Amino acid sequence: MSKIRRSRFVAPVLVLAAGSIISGAVAIGHTWNDAVVAEAVTVLLSFVYFMMTKSDSDIGAVYGNRADERQMHVVLKASRNSMLVMLAIAFVGVVVTIAMNEVYWQFDILGSVGGFAYLISLLVYGTHDESANGPGNIMSGKSG
Amino acid sequence: MSQAHVAAGLGVSRQTVIAIESGRYSPSLPLAFRIARFFEMPVDQMFDPQEEVGA
Repeated sequence: MSKIRRSRFVAPVLVLAAGSIISGAVAIGHTWNDAVVAEAVTVLLSFVYFMMTKSDSDIGAVYGNRADERQMHVVLKASRNSMLVMLAIAFVGVVVTIAMNEVYWQFDILGSVGGFAYLISLLVYGTHDESANGPGNIMSGKSG
Repeated sequence: MSQAHVAAGLGVSRQTVIAIESGRYSPSLPLAFRIARFFEMPVDQMFDPQEEVGA
């Protein structure tokens, strides 16, 4: 099996693994029936991801681990947007739960850890990332 | 020459070839040199920065 074909399994397997862990938690905290339903949804979702890796599109290339340099830029922009959405949800969650006099630490942790990860990333990629000079090394003829 | 043929020759996706053709994406320097080598043209004839400045 070639490296390209193997790489198509990465995203579906990650989805399957994460979903199975959640299914396990459902089995512990709820019922086995609920866990079976959760695992069935996980398997279905993993199959959908696998089918998407076949697609001749940007999404297919990203999920299939064959993204080129433009598609990596798309990934960066998408990651930035998803982080902003998550931070906005965390902020709204903190405000709403405080106003309702409910427990808010889950939202607080989400926002705080997200912001801290952003600062750490600025430090790491700003000064210590050897690939910061671009996607390829033109002097050696290698390209990313 | 099809976009798929060019994409395969450059090692990028067909969508990226389309994006470069339509001016929606400026390739990195290494990719620009690969494109120039692929079409056997000097890189400064393939890409003219003045077009973007004047646009």
